[in-house]
Amino acid sequence: MTARIAILAGVLAVAAAIVIAGLPRPETPAERVDRIASELRCPVCQGLSVADSPSDTARAMRALVEQRVQEGRSDDEIRDEFRRAYGDWILLSPPLLDARGAVWLLPLAVIVLGAVLVAMRLRRAPPPVRPSAEQLRVLRERELAEEAVE
Amino acid sequence: MTFADVGGGALRAALALALWGLVASAYAARGRDGRALGSARWSALAAFGLILVASLAMAAALLTHDFSIRYVAFNNALETPAYFSAISLWAALEGSILLWTTVLAGAVTFVAWRGTRELPRLATTALAVMFAMLAFFLFLVVTPAADPFVRIDPAPLNGRGPNPLLQDHWLMGLHPPLLYLGYVLFSVPFAYAIASLILGEAGDRWIVATRRAALVAWALLGVGIVAGAWWSYAVLGWGGYWAWDPVENAAIMPWLVATAYLHSVMVEEKRRMLRTWNVALVIGAFALTILGTFLTRSGVVNSVHSFTQSLIGPLLLGYLAAILAFSVGLLLWRAPRLADTGAIGAPLSREAIFLFQNVLFVAATLTVLLGTLYPLVVEAISGAQLSIGSPYFDRVEVPIALALLFLMGIGPQLPWHGASRATLERQFAAPVVAAGAGSVLALALGLRGAAPVLGYALAAFVVATVVQEVVRGVRARRTLHGETAAAAFVNLFRRSGRRYGGYIVHVGIALIALAVVSSQSQATFAEATLAPGGSMQVAGRTIVFERFRDVTEPRRTQVVADLRVLDGGGGAPMTAALTYYPNASGAIGAPGIRSTAGEDVYAILAAYDLRSRAWATIQVKVIPLVSWLWIGGLVVGLGAVIAALPPSRRRTAIVAGAVPVGSTAGAK
Repeated sequence: MTARIAILAGVLAVAAAIVIAGLPRPETPAERVDRIASELRCPVCQGLSVADSPSDTARAMRALVEQRVQEGRSDDEIRDEFRRAYGDWILLSPPLLDARGAVWLLPLAVIVLGAVLVAMRLRRAPPPVRPSAEQLRVLRERELAEEAVE
Repeated sequence: MTFADVGGGALRAALALALWGLVASAYAARGRDGRALGSARWSALAAFGLILVASLAMAAALLTHDFSIRYVAFNNALETPAYFSAISLWAALEGSILLWTTVLAGAVTFVAWRGTRELPRLATTALAVMFAMLAFFLFLVVTPAADPFVRIDPAPLNGRGPNPLLQDHWLMGLHPPLLYLGYVLFSVPFAYAIASLILGEAGDRWIVATRRAALVAWALLGVGIVAGAWWSYAVLGWGGYWAWDPVENAAIMPWLVATAYLHSVMVEEKRRMLRTWNVALVIGAFALTILGTFLTRSGVVNSVHSFTQSLIGPLLLGYLAAILAFSVGLLLWRAPRLADTGAIGAPLSREAIFLFQNVLFVAATLTVLLGTLYPLVVEAISGAQLSIGSPYFDRVEVPIALALLFLMGIGPQLPWHGASRATLERQFAAPVVAAGAGSVLALALGLRGAAPVLGYALAAFVVATVVQEVVRGVRARRTLHGETAAAAFVNLFRRSGRRYGGYIVHVGIALIALAVVSSQSQATFAEATLAPGGSMQVAGRTIVFERFRDVTEPRRTQVVADLRVLDGGGGAPMTAALTYYPNASGAIGAPGIRSTAGEDVYAILAAYDLRSRAWATIQVKVIPLVSWLWIGGLVVGLGAVIAALPPSRRRTAIVAGAVPVGSTAGAK
């Protein structure tokens, strides 16, 4: 009984903490600059984002993002400005809703397919026979012995 | 005789020996011919010796600055210090293929000589597979594709020097060899799996025979990856450690598959199932090591257009295609013999968790593969250039990583076959409470966002399961054997190393998870342009820019900004610098890092007044808990060592007498 209450309390605590931490809150301008900069590729680096790179080019791009945010432009307007200058290549993350969106769907498809396959195997398996306490003790001892041999 | 003569000659002789060894070991495996086997064994040892001679010749050429060898002229200079001269052995393509070949020859010798008097047929067949791989790499280093001993005439008076990024930090002497050892050691389980398929064996002898090799390969690769992340953090000067760069992706993919493999073989050993799957995983892990080498060594990751510049790209791609075609074909042919005899238990059994874990690891790997290759494929087909970087990988991999942390906590707590409700309650009460405490702690530390808080909760969950297991193990030993608490604790790891070493690995991964969560979501950043004597504020700390210093060394010049971090006491000095090498156009950053257990202060000299040194632009990041990433890597390595060590002898003797041993490799 105590165990059950403890588990319930723990699960509730985690759930509450996640809800509190995940509550939507207004983004500060600095956070917005960070987020947009982290989605832009630093053109002179090896795969670093504008937010990460300390290079002059990246710092200039970051300053431009900052300026546009102050001017009150939307995320898309800022992104499009960079896309016009550099091409799609400047975005580090492919858009979800277009032909390139396949990159997003495939991992999900693999997980779903894999989970279905595992679930099918679980269903096919005969219902597990619940071993008695004595059998469990023997199993556990055998396991320990095997481990010692390995 | 020059170093080039010695090295080139040794490699050619080694190639002849490898080809002979291939024939002899294949013949020995077919005809069970003892003399042929002996010949193959000595060929392996002699080839290894010759390749070592070639590597030493290259090291000597680098240390004595023998610029008549092109590799030395391009990767060494008179000013290069001895340490960086020696490790230039793997500073570029030809040298790193030579290092690969050396390690592979060592692995071949290990397989050839591991049995004392005679080798079982499985090992002899595996030896033939290893010889074939060795012959391919020796072929690479004796042809222009990757010949390290190509000469240059007339020899230049001085060389170009190593890549600046590679002569900046001692970790460069550690990170590449660790990765290569890991990569190459995967060829041992692969060779045994292939041998097992060739011989049509249905059992798990190949798994048992290569359990340690797989574990050691996995651990070396993992520690090598963490060392690489550390190098990136300490040298590249961007305050991060992982950028989902294709080179990093190439290293993590085989590691992910190997992690799945290390767990799913336990299902085969205990439950006699997943036989085909385990062979497929080991083929996948091995093929990904070759793919990684291809991606990083052919230049294809920068652009598909650089691919054809060197012969090495097409050759490695051909090798990869041949390996995949051969091993997948073999697997399909033998699959009917690998039918499972065991059955899976309930959804809440250890084997079921292993299966779900495998699905997630494979999905994580395919995501990395897809994200890495997709831009290349698109560019090759349509010519359009696009980027896939951290925003994509983070968004897909973070949920997968969280799910894996969760499974890492529950898997070891569940019995094989299935668990009763009472068992579940007994196993999970304390860990779930710990998870609740972890999430509250995360909130108290100011973490925001669902994923970071969940990360803390799951890390606490995992650590609590391990603590609970160890406490129970100690208690059981005390009652069963009457040991003291300390003795019981030590014996737990010595006698059941595989199990408890694995738990230590889990703790290391939990530490890495905490470090990643905190450093990614709670780093603070500030930038200021200061005159000498000026100061800036970041996260409650004052950073004073004291003065400029110019440092001139024979091989480089440095502009150093002397800084002081004021946090209470007198303040700690640190420096951030830009380094100029004669063979590089731009400056290389040398960040200043002040590490404590709680956080790192990371300072970058981003720009400065070139003419009069009147100002400097300093960037400072305060990154919480990041050093726990490296510590976590060490803990993972330590756990793997405990798991790989043979159990202490006295106990083994007693148990081996009591329990029939049928499936160990040497018992055939």
